[in-house]
Amino acid sequence: MLQHANTPMKIIGWVSLCLIVLVTVFAFQGLIGFSESGPDWALLSDHYFHSILVFSLKQALLSALLSVALAWPIARALYYLPHVPGFRSFLSLCLLCFVMPTLVLITGLVVMGRQFEWSLYGLNGILLAHIYLNMPFAIRVFYQQLKGIPDSSWKLSVQLKLSRWQRLRIIEWPSIRGTSLMLFGFIFVLCFNSFAIVLALGGGPQSTTLEVAIYQALKYDFNIPEALMLAWVQLLIAGGLFLVVSRFGSANWLSVDTASDEWTPRPQGWRQGLMKSSYYLAWLVLLLPIQALLLGLIQGDFSRLALTSLFKPTLITISLGFFSALIGMALAYTMLNPIRQMNALGQSRRRIVFEWLATHALVAPAMVVSVGLFIFLLQRIDIDRWGIVFVALLNTSVVVPFAVQKLKPRLYQFDAQYGELSRSLKLQGWALWKIEWPFIKPVFLSTFALVLVLAMGDVAIFSIFGSKEWTTLPWLIYEYAGTYRMAEASMASMLLLALCALILWLFEKAQTSNA
Amino acid sequence: MLNISQLKIERDGKQLSYDFQLEEGLILAVQGLSGVGKSTLLSAIAGFVEPIEGLIFWQGDCLNTLPVEQRPVSYLFQEYNLFEHLTVMQNMSLGFVGAVPKETLAEAANILQVADQLAKKPGALSGGQRQRIALIRTMLRPEPLVLLDEPFAELDPKTRELATNWVRDTAKLYGKTVLMVTHQSEDVDRVADECLELS
Repeated sequence: MLQHANTPMKIIGWVSLCLIVLVTVFAFQGLIGFSESGPDWALLSDHYFHSILVFSLKQALLSALLSVALAWPIARALYYLPHVPGFRSFLSLCLLCFVMPTLVLITGLVVMGRQFEWSLYGLNGILLAHIYLNMPFAIRVFYQQLKGIPDSSWKLSVQLKLSRWQRLRIIEWPSIRGTSLMLFGFIFVLCFNSFAIVLALGGGPQSTTLEVAIYQALKYDFNIPEALMLAWVQLLIAGGLFLVVSRFGSANWLSVDTASDEWTPRPQGWRQGLMKSSYYLAWLVLLLPIQALLLGLIQGDFSRLALTSLFKPTLITISLGFFSALIGMALAYTMLNPIRQMNALGQSRRRIVFEWLATHALVAPAMVVSVGLFIFLLQRIDIDRWGIVFVALLNTSVVVPFAVQKLKPRLYQFDAQYGELSRSLKLQGWALWKIEWPFIKPVFLSTFALVLVLAMGDVAIFSIFGSKEWTTLPWLIYEYAGTYRMAEASMASMLLLALCALILWLFEKAQTSNA
Repeated sequence: MLNISQLKIERDGKQLSYDFQLEEGLILAVQGLSGVGKSTLLSAIAGFVEPIEGLIFWQGDCLNTLPVEQRPVSYLFQEYNLFEHLTVMQNMSLGFVGAVPKETLAEAANILQVADQLAKKPGALSGGQRQRIALIRTMLRPEPLVLLDEPFAELDPKTRELATNWVRDTAKLYGKTVLMVTHQSEDVDRVADECLELS
């Protein structure tokens, strides 16, 4: 489509891309400029560094492996048993779990740990939280991939009398193979860069990740050379892996196939029983932390909680979320314009590099970006006054990669299906947008809801730029939990969770009614 | 013998009726205008379409109650016969119980002039080459009843002659009973023993 894309859109696209890259550049500039000695490379041979590197890799590897491995049988159960009770609700719950603000989950897990007298601190707790957040996401992705298997393939397999093993090897596995790698890499990177969960459930050099070590180096010692060195290591490992996965993995994230499923096999007997059991077990596991929060509410002592104290943080959270989601979507859409052009022209190497740049915020250590930018701006702006603006702006840069990843396949699909037709009809600008919008609208709306909820859950950026005056709901939860006011933390967590669920539900409804 | 007895199928609000017999080892060409129900007949014999009335017998056994996997049928669909992510050879080797007759497959590929395509993925093949690959597998699978839905539609006249001769020779060599949907009267002349005109 875009070989001759109109120049203004291209320019806006490049500007968006530059803005996102500049945030990271300024952040690193802030840290490098502040410290004259540069990164402390001597740390590379330090035992402390080795232990946190090994732990970062180990927990990310295990989290990604377990999330993907556990998601697969549940996704299969969903695919093969589409009439199982609560099917739609389960898919919604999966989405809610993935975007659930980490502090809500941590509160739920801590309350649950108390109920069952489990210790959730250390590697076990971190793994549990990571699996809880990422497995549901993997379930959805696998399910959508399986849904993409054409009915004609199943029909052919029945005619060829393929055995179950052959069906698995010839039809099912190829449909999810590329996605599995991409998914594994994506979850690995998310867990490798995990901050709030490791900060809350980890502790000590035995269960600290690079991201938390960076935070500790900056917060307790203000040791910038150490933070810089850790940041470079993190950026290289996470960024390198993400680049490799983008090159070799192929994830069609949105391949919702609404075609007939008349010939999809329907398991019977013990196989059906096993699938149903794994499905109901998944329901139970995903609901446990939420149930713990609810129980915490019922049994809690709210004598010290004034409900009105929740009102302002809620309003601030929603407003900040909307701002970040709106700007994030606009940036993602516009920066995809030049990348789509590269895709259409078959410039795959350039495309991969620019896709990486567009999504690099996913792998850049958020703590380094926040602190670096803080130092960079310290000498230039009154941060006490303008801090909240930077909370919004940095949150925007954090959600852009998610928006890019979700919008990209749909836009590529549009280009592949209608690119040449649009060009032959000489559609440009507004006329092109009018035919493109209905095509991308469902994905656009669901992505907007996703990034809105993600932005609403931020704690890390607020911890650097935020102030008491602008307290958000997640920060309030953090404060309550930090002072062991678990009933209040549960109440605020439930409110935030309900808000997230409401937003996802509203956008899903709007999406369905528009379909 | 294949016995289609008082078979009635409802398709898009229209009722289609079939009633005929075919001796074992013979080739029947099924002809008729578009929409008359030629492909539907093949689908019903293969078990993909459920009749509302009537019976399908093969060698005295009723096929109606058998699932697709248990019917003695090898079926060439009008399209989507190949898995795009497998090589041509891998595609051709599917649908055999036990050892795959690789030599026979290779020999057939040689006769139908697709021997140099075996290592490729179907996406790299022309429509005619894809059709010949699917045809080889369908004819050589160890099923006595072969259903071919427009098997030569994508072929040029020369290759068509080659393929029609090969289908007839193979069917006779292995004693296959073949139902072949075609719009071309020359296919009927070259391949078929009998012709069924649906209306």
